[in-house]
Amino acid sequence: MQTVFSIAIDAFAYGMVLFVISIGLSVTMGLMRVVNLAHGAFAMIGGYIASYAAQHLGLGYAVAVLLAVVGTVIIAIPIERLLYRRIYGAPELTQVLMTIGITFCIIGIANYVFGPTLKTIPLPPALQGSADLGFRSIAVHRLFAIVCGLAVAGGLWYAIEKTAFGVKLRASVDNASMAAALGVRTEIIYAISFAVAVGLAAFGGVLGAELLPVEPYYALRYMVTFLVVVSVGGAGSIPGALLACLVLGGIDTTGRYLMPEFGEFFFYLAVIAIICVFPRGLAGRAR
Amino acid sequence: MTLIMNNETVIAKTRQSRTIGRDLTGIGAILAVAVVGYFLFPDNLALLTRIIAIALLVLSLDLVTGYCGVATLGHAALFGSGAYAAGIAAAHYGITSPLLMTLAGILGGAIAGLICGVIILRAHGLPQLVLSISLIYLFHEFANKASSWTGGSDGLSGISPDPLFGTYEFDLWGQTAYIFGVFLLLSVFVLLRVLVRSPFGMLCRGIKEDPLRIMAMGASPKITLIKMYVISGAVAGVGGALNAISTQVVGLDSLSFTQSAEALVMLVLGGTGSLFGALMGTLVFMLFEDYVSAANPFHWLTMVGVLLIAVVLFAPKGLYGTAAGFIARRLEKRT
Amino acid sequence: MKRAIIAAFAAIILGSGAYADTIKIGVVGPFSGPFALQGKNFKAGIDAYMAMHGTTVGDDTVKIIYRDLPAADPAQSKALAQELVVKEKVQYLAGFYFTPDAMAVTPILKQADVPLIVMNAATSAIVTKSPLVVRTSFTTWQTSTPIAKVAHDAGVAKVISIVSDYGPGIDAENAFKAGFEKEGGAVVEAIRMPLSTNDFSPIMQRIKDSGAQGVFAFLPSGPTTLGFVKAYNENGLKAAGIKFFAPGDLTQESDLPALGDAALGIQTTFHYAVSHDSPENKAFVEAASKAIGNPAELSFPSVGAFDGMNVIYKMIEATGGEQDAQKAVDAVKGLSWISPRGPVSIDPESRHITQNIYLREVTKADDGSYYNKEIQTFEKQGDPGLAAIK
Repeated sequence: MQTVFSIAIDAFAYGMVLFVISIGLSVTMGLMRVVNLAHGAFAMIGGYIASYAAQHLGLGYAVAVLLAVVGTVIIAIPIERLLYRRIYGAPELTQVLMTIGITFCIIGIANYVFGPTLKTIPLPPALQGSADLGFRSIAVHRLFAIVCGLAVAGGLWYAIEKTAFGVKLRASVDNASMAAALGVRTEIIYAISFAVAVGLAAFGGVLGAELLPVEPYYALRYMVTFLVVVSVGGAGSIPGALLACLVLGGIDTTGRYLMPEFGEFFFYLAVIAIICVFPRGLAGRAR
Repeated sequence: MTLIMNNETVIAKTRQSRTIGRDLTGIGAILAVAVVGYFLFPDNLALLTRIIAIALLVLSLDLVTGYCGVATLGHAALFGSGAYAAGIAAAHYGITSPLLMTLAGILGGAIAGLICGVIILRAHGLPQLVLSISLIYLFHEFANKASSWTGGSDGLSGISPDPLFGTYEFDLWGQTAYIFGVFLLLSVFVLLRVLVRSPFGMLCRGIKEDPLRIMAMGASPKITLIKMYVISGAVAGVGGALNAISTQVVGLDSLSFTQSAEALVMLVLGGTGSLFGALMGTLVFMLFEDYVSAANPFHWLTMVGVLLIAVVLFAPKGLYGTAAGFIARRLEKRT
Repeated sequence: MKRAIIAAFAAIILGSGAYADTIKIGVVGPFSGPFALQGKNFKAGIDAYMAMHGTTVGDDTVKIIYRDLPAADPAQSKALAQELVVKEKVQYLAGFYFTPDAMAVTPILKQADVPLIVMNAATSAIVTKSPLVVRTSFTTWQTSTPIAKVAHDAGVAKVISIVSDYGPGIDAENAFKAGFEKEGGAVVEAIRMPLSTNDFSPIMQRIKDSGAQGVFAFLPSGPTTLGFVKAYNENGLKAAGIKFFAPGDLTQESDLPALGDAALGIQTTFHYAVSHDSPENKAFVEAASKAIGNPAELSFPSVGAFDGMNVIYKMIEATGGEQDAQKAVDAVKGLSWISPRGPVSIDPESRHITQNIYLREVTKADDGSYYNKEIQTFEKQGDPGLAAIK
């Protein structure tokens, strides 16, 4: 019984970290219909900024996180205006080519500027160490990630479903020209959504750095994981992404505990099974 | 010359002769590039042979992506299966005749194509992409686990193909491998030209445009696409076998996501939906990569990224598609 | 002086060696990609050697030609080697970080009449694939066997082994198991996990449940190592007194700043620590730090490359710059010298390097940086892996 609890807690914690990192991608892919393979690259930029701020400027963790989010958004704005704007509505393959190109460039630049070594973001004392749950201990920063994940999920859901901006966003997604005719400035809506998605990527990159350490190949190494999680959930759906993260995190963790030798098999077989049963993802919307 | 003719009655005939003319030009062009490559880079035949093997993979990807509209980031599964089939035949069963090894590659690729086709075609769009990614990881992991057969992460070595026709050895200088590769590429190219123009090829294009209408016509899109996947697997298998024969070693990388993604990038770079586009994309990408990575082994990835972005911005239909469109417009203006 | 004059006369009389040649050495390694750091270390080691010993051997000028091979890709490796031999006319092939890449090249050595100096790839079998292979790095068997004795001496009887599921990982598992069982210990469980594992919490739970007193681990250096060591601390294994044993790949110097306090006290066995205390190493570290730019990036592949260059220079000397692979390899069989890592020699039979293996512990220096402190020496270790595959 203890083992079951233990696995469940690990699975939950892992799933929430996955959620925080990949939810931004769900926004770009589901709502803006861009296959953004450069998502990991933005998460990586966030990680680098936070690491630089904390290690070299001696700033606190909270400030570093804030700086990472804002800095990444600022870096992303010209990229959006010059490059992404050209591929909205373009065929998927064109988007793949463009965003892989962007990823390669960012990797190359990161490698040049920061060097190939691992970068860490020092945690504040409050998040260090482990908490005792009675039957086992768990790292405090994992609990923090769980809280942040839930907060992000709630906030996004509220923004998309309940606010005027969310209404406009959904209108622009469903029918851009009609929304524009009704006076919605779709360009601005898209720009804001993109900024939010990038900001979330950066936030996830910093928060998840304990699990997925920041180094130049971060952007490629975890690209597939993010893509898989988002598609299994159904791109654009917040509850779907949450569910997918928990399910996949659960399968992955259980597999690694029970039969670590075949961990990879479990994970990908589960993905295939889920998509075969739900071809649009767990909570995918019909197009 | 044919372009100027606009007599109604000869249009059909013209079109036919034009396509055959294009076939001949295509074969001529491949041969010309092959010969120029041979004489221009006589010391670099290993690279050229590798380009041919990858070109076969990209051609095979074009069959399902360009002609059938299937998005896949896992096509190296077919290529790698072909390579391992040829390699295992040689290393474990002593089948060292290059032609038989190629046959083993075709078989291995076709079987992998069947498996992948059946699974990948169950979804569309993004989920399809993810299915293909999951498959390539499963193939990769499987090959890693079956290390007594595949050599695992150390690679499958001990492949020593016989001399071709008993006389031409696959040696250090790589002439035999290169000429063998050119021969394979030409044969595949001719067969594929026939295939994509055949009623079957047209059916596939129809499915890409409008599967509903094809279904209404009484054809089954699914079965058709699976058939195409098997053919695609055979083509990729030829590439894999060529790779195994010429390098005499097969590594796990031939079954990797990276290899698949690179193939897709090359295809989109050249232009989907055209065999020439596939060839051109491979040639340009591989030569560019070879050049910049030799010029600056430490920071060449950025250059490749810039190339990809530039292609999307300035040649959105791919290099071949954009060039062909440009030439067609010029010709139109003249008439 | 007299000898120099005689040598000069001999050179003039013999004629053939009298004209100055450029001898090219083709170095293949990961200079870009996720393992670029290791390639950078190759280059630093080579540059350091050439800065210390000059770029000429006799009358011949040595020229290095680098080729990039970002990941394990045997087909590409062979294509690059072929190009280096046929087009660039290199007389020596060197480098090779990954085993499959080195394996792919061995079949062409004889025909090309070129020796291969392996500067890293660590699977025992490579040297058996061709008589023209010499290795100046280490094997996973060589570095993983002594830690078994360390574990036993520390009073640990039951160990769980956790390795990444790929060639070197499996080698490490076998080496440790063989060594530990010989000492009378028991490996209670041997787990192979996929290379792409990110979250190690479930693995840590497995370790706890196994009831082992110690854990032996092997993972490729880089992000996974960081995750593993952190999980080891955070899940309370360190606090529970479960001891951690590993070969030194896990605590390579370039990863230590990122590992930080989490790595303190971890004991590993390896052939080289940047902190090794000897005049040879001091000179090497100074030259190599200058070559690599950032001294924090310096780690073990640099010393493999440095000694590889030493072997190549000896080969060039012995052959007088003529291309004769067999003669070159024969000339270094049994060669011994003082390397930055300590006294080493080339075993005449296996052509693999015999060297000291050190037990080290991650320690914090006075200036707050971390280093591997050598605390015990296992002298003149050969490669036990070769016997194991026979």
